Amino acid sequence: MSRNVSFRDFDWVLVTFVLIICALGVIEIRSATLHTKFAGVHVKQIYWIVGGLAGMLLVSVVNYQVLLERVHWMYIGAVASLMTVLLFGQKYLGARRWVKLPGGNHFQPSEWVKLILILAVAKYFADLQSRELSWSDFVKAGAIVGVPMLMVLAQPDLGTALTYLPIAIVGLFLGGIRWKQALVIVMLAGLAMPLAWHHMKDYQKQRLISFMAPDSDPRGAGYHVKQSEIAVGSGGLWGSSSGSQTHLAFLPEPHTDFIFAAFSEEHGFVGALAVLLLYFIVLMRLTQNAQTAPDRAGTFIVMGVVAVLTFHILVNIGMVVGFMPVTGIPLPLMSYGGSSVLFMFLALGMVMNVRMRRFVN
Amino acid sequence: MSVSTVRSGTNLRLYILAGVFVLWCCAICVRLVYLQVFRYGTFEQRAQHQQQRTEEVSARRGIIYDRAGRELAMSINVDSVFAVPAEMPKPTSTISLIARITKQDPRELLPRCEAAKTFCWLARKPDPEISARIRSLNLRGVYFQKESKRYYPKNELAAQVLGYVGMDDAGLSGIEGEYEGQLHGRPGQMLISVDARKRWFGSVEKQPEPGENVVLTIDEKIQYIAERELETAMQQTHAISGTVIVENPRTGEILALANRPTFNPNLSRQINPEKLKNHAVSDVYEPGSTFKLVTISGALEEKVTRPDEVFDCQMGSIVYNGMRIRDSKPHGLLPVSDVLAESSDVGSIKIALRLGEERFYKYIRSFGFGQQTGIELPGETRGLTKPVSRWSKVSIAAISMGQEIGITPLQLVGLVSTMANDGVYVAPRIVAATTQPQSAPQTIAFHPANERRVISTFTAAEMRQMMQGVVLHGTGKKALLIGYSSAGKTGTAQKVDPATRAYSHTKYVASFAGFAPVNNPAVTIAVVLDSAVGLHQGGQVSAPVFTRIAQQVLEYLHTPHDLEIPASRQVWLAQAKASEKDLEEGSPDHPGEAIDAAESASNDAIAPALPEKRSAAAAQSNSRDDHAATVSRIVPASLRQTSRSTSFSQTASGANSQLLTSSAATLPANGTVVLDVEQGGISVPSFVGKSVRSAIEIAELSGLDLEIVGSGVAQQQSPPPGAHVASGAKITVKFRR
Repeated sequence: MSRNVSFRDFDWVLVTFVLIICALGVIEIRSATLHTKFAGVHVKQIYWIVGGLAGMLLVSVVNYQVLLERVHWMYIGAVASLMTVLLFGQKYLGARRWVKLPGGNHFQPSEWVKLILILAVAKYFADLQSRELSWSDFVKAGAIVGVPMLMVLAQPDLGTALTYLPIAIVGLFLGGIRWKQALVIVMLAGLAMPLAWHHMKDYQKQRLISFMAPDSDPRGAGYHVKQSEIAVGSGGLWGSSSGSQTHLAFLPEPHTDFIFAAFSEEHGFVGALAVLLLYFIVLMRLTQNAQTAPDRAGTFIVMGVVAVLTFHILVNIGMVVGFMPVTGIPLPLMSYGGSSVLFMFLALGMVMNVRMRRFVN
Repeated sequence: MSVSTVRSGTNLRLYILAGVFVLWCCAICVRLVYLQVFRYGTFEQRAQHQQQRTEEVSARRGIIYDRAGRELAMSINVDSVFAVPAEMPKPTSTISLIARITKQDPRELLPRCEAAKTFCWLARKPDPEISARIRSLNLRGVYFQKESKRYYPKNELAAQVLGYVGMDDAGLSGIEGEYEGQLHGRPGQMLISVDARKRWFGSVEKQPEPGENVVLTIDEKIQYIAERELETAMQQTHAISGTVIVENPRTGEILALANRPTFNPNLSRQINPEKLKNHAVSDVYEPGSTFKLVTISGALEEKVTRPDEVFDCQMGSIVYNGMRIRDSKPHGLLPVSDVLAESSDVGSIKIALRLGEERFYKYIRSFGFGQQTGIELPGETRGLTKPVSRWSKVSIAAISMGQEIGITPLQLVGLVSTMANDGVYVAPRIVAATTQPQSAPQTIAFHPANERRVISTFTAAEMRQMMQGVVLHGTGKKALLIGYSSAGKTGTAQKVDPATRAYSHTKYVASFAGFAPVNNPAVTIAVVLDSAVGLHQGGQVSAPVFTRIAQQVLEYLHTPHDLEIPASRQVWLAQAKASEKDLEEGSPDHPGEAIDAAESASNDAIAPALPEKRSAAAAQSNSRDDHAATVSRIVPASLRQTSRSTSFSQTASGANSQLLTSSAATLPANGTVVLDVEQGGISVPSFVGKSVRSAIEIAELSGLDLEIVGSGVAQQQSPPPGAHVASGAKITVKFRR
C-alpha cells in the first residue's frame, strides 16, 4: 500500500504558497520586533517552520487510515494532556496553558488537541455512513469536541476553545445535517448566549463591549482595536514606509496576534490584498484536496483542517480590521509562535497524507 | 448511488463553505478599502497625532554686551532633570531622594509626579553640582534635558537695566523684556516620535535661530563705579531708594544707570517688584531746585534777564497771589547767577514771572519734560506736567522752583546735558546696537537722532558758568573735583506725604545733577536719593556721590584735566601740609576754592588717597620705563588729548590701569591692592573666603582677569596669593557653597 505512495503526489503548489505566506510572516516579524526586546525572534520562527516541514513529511508518511484506527487512544491521550495542564500547568498571564518540558521549552497541548479532534471527528462521521444524522449523533459528536473544549475553557483560554467549534460544525455540516436540525442548534446556541455571558470573565465581557462600541474606552479595552485600525488605515494604498504605528509600539502584539495589522501598515492595501489572495489560494487548494480525497474520512480530515484554518484567518483578520472582538487567536502561518506553526504544518501533513493516497483505493 | 449522492451532497456543501469564505473575503476587502483608501487621511493623522510631538527647542538667547563687548548677560547650557515615574521601580522613594538633593518639598513634588506617569520636571535649571549629583546616582526613570539658563556674570551690576528672565526663558523686565523679540531668537522644532510608552524614538530637528545680541551704551567699569558709590551713599544716608545716571552729554549715551535697592538677576526667585523698579525712568518726583535751571535758562534765552541782573530776594520771603513762599536762608539782593548758586526760591519766582506762563511752559516742554525720552527701557513714565490752561494762579511760582511738576531722574539728566551740550537736547539712549548672533563685537557708531536746539550756545555757556558757580560758591560745594572743573545744580524737594497730601517735613528727595569738565563736558551725572535720614539736602548727600563718581569716571575716560596740574599739585602739597600749618581763608580765585573743596571733601575718602597717588607718581618719575599700566595715569592730561566724547575705545589694559587709578583714589593706602612697580607686575591678592561678587571687585581693582568656577565662597585660587603676575593676567578661583 505504502509502495504506491510517492512524493510526486505531494501537493507542491500548496506547499509553495504556504511557504510564501510563512516568508512574508518572517519578514514582518523581523520588521515588527526590530527595536523591541523580541528582536531576533524571526530566526526562531524560521527554525519552527523548518521543524514544521519535517513534521509535515513525517505525518504524511504514516497512512491516515492507521491513524484513524488508533484515534481513540490518541483522544484519551489528548484529554489526559489537557488534564495535566490543568493540574500542573504553568500559570502565565492568569491562565494555565503551558506545560513546562524538561529543557526549558514550553508546550501548549491545546494546539495538538485540535489535530486529534480533526481525526476523531473525521473518524466518527466517516463511520456513520448514513446521510441522515440522528440527535444522538449530535450528542456524541458534541461530546467528542465538547469535553476537550470545556477543559480548555477551564484554563481559561476562550480563543483556543472556540477554534475547536468549527471542527464540529464542519463535521456536522458535511456529515449531512438537515437544515431543520441546524436551525434548532442555532436557536439553542442563541438561548445559551446569556448563560455564556454570565460565565464570562470580566476582561472577556470588556472585550465584547469594546468591540460593540470601540470609542467607549479608547485608552482601555478599546485600545487594541483602535490602534489596530489606525495601523491598518495609516498604511494607505501602498503602505507607510516608516511603519511607525508598529515600530513605536502603539500596535500591541505586532508580531503575533496583530501581525496582519503591522503588515497592512507597512505594505498598504495592496500588500493586505496579496496576503488575502494567498490565503484564498491555499484554502481553495485544500478544498480541492478534500474533494479528491480517496474516502469520506479523508474528506473530513482535510475539511477539518480547512475549518480550523479558515476560522483562524476569519477571526484574526476580522479582529484586525474591527469586524470581530479581540481574541487571542493568531493568524496561522504568519504569526510568531512555535505551537501554532507546528500545528499548521502537522495539519498540512495530514492533508498531504490524504492527498498522496487519493489513487490508492 | 447512495455513495455518489452523498459525494455530490458533500460537494455541494463544500461549495457552500467555499462561498461563505469568499463572501467573507469580500467583506474584508471592502473593509480594507474603507480603512486604507477612503479613510487613509484620517488614520494617517491620528497615527501622527499620537506618534509625533513637536517640541520647541528654545533658541539660544542673545548676549547683552556693554559698550566694550563685555558680557553682561549670557546663556549657558544646564541640565534640567525630569522623571518618567512609570519607569521607576520605586517612584516614591526615588522622588523623595531627589527632592532631598534639590532641597524641594517632597510633599509638593510627589503628588505632581504621581499625577503625571510619563513626564514630570524634578528640577528645572538647577546648579551644575545638583544635576551632577543626581546623575551620579544613576537612577532609573530619571532623565536630563539640556536647557538654556540665563546667567549674569556680574550679578547685581546694572540689574534693573538688564532685567531678568523667567523659567521659560522669556525676558521679564529691563532690556531682557524690552528686547525680548530680538534676544529670544526663533525657537527650533524637534519632531519627536513618541512610542506607546512615551519613550523618545527619533527626532528631526529644525535648527533654532539664536537671538540677536544687544550692545548697550553702558560701560561696565563706569557702571561698577556708579553702583559702588551709590551703595556707599545708601549705607551712609539710609535712603529708601536711590538712582545714579551717568551720561555722555554729547551723544546721549547712558554710560551707567544704577539703582538701589537692587537684586541679583541670577536668583530670579528672590526678586520683588520693589527691587525691580528702575527709578531712573519710572520714578516721578518733584525735582525741587534743580528745576530752576529751566526757569533761569528760559529767561536768559528770552533775554528777559541777564546773569548779572540783581533781584531783590526780599530777605527770603515773597507773597504771590496769596501764597507765602520762604527761602531756607534769607537772601537780600542777589544777581541771577547767585539766585541759582544760592538756590533762592524768591529769586526764581520773580524770574519766572518775568518769563511768563506761556514761554515758561514752552521751555519746560522743549527740555523734554512731560514726555518720554524714548530710552530703550520698559516702564518709562512721562512725568507730570500740566498745560498752562490747567495752571492755578500760583502754579508758575511753584513750578519755577520745581514744585507742582513731576519729572524722572532721566529727564533731569536730559536737562543738564542740554546745558553741557551747548544748548542742544539729545535724547538719552542705552542700546547702542543689536548685532547678529555670530558677529564679533563692533565699535559703536553714533548716529545723532532726536536732537533739538533748546537754548542758544551763548545761553548754554552762560548757564554752564552759573552752574559752575553753584559748585564753586553755592549749594554744590561738595561737587568740587580735583583736577577738573565741574558744574551742577542741587535739589532738595519735600516729598508729598500720601497720607496727609501735604509736603512732608521729614522726607526729602535729595538730588544733584551736574557735569564735568565745565568747558568740554565729558559726563553728565545725576544722583537722586529718596528719603535720606539725617542729612538730606541735595548738596549734602547727593553732591558727594557726584564727586566720587565723576572723579573716577573722568580719570577712567582719560579726560584731560582742565585745571592746571601745577595747581593740582599744589592741592596735593597743601593737603599734605594741611595738618602742619593753617591755610589762608579761601581766596576768591579757583585754586583757593579747590583747596577749600579738598578740605571739605576730606571726609569723602578722597584725601587719604592723595599721598598714595603722589608716591605712585614719584615711583613713576623714578623709573620711567615700560610700566605702561601705571604710567598711563600720570601723563594723561596734556599728552593724550584724544577726543573722548564720541568714542571710547580702549584696550583692556588701559581700562584696567585707569580703574586702578580711580580705585587707588578711594581705597585706603593699606588696602588689598598692592602695586609692585619694581617687580613689574601685580601681587595677586587673596580671594579665599570671598564671595563671587567681592572677588570680582577685588580682581577688577587689581587689574586681574578673574575666571570663576562654581559659585558660593572662594575655596582655592591659582596662582596663589602673593605671586606676581602681569596686569590683566587670568586668576582662576574655585567657589563652593
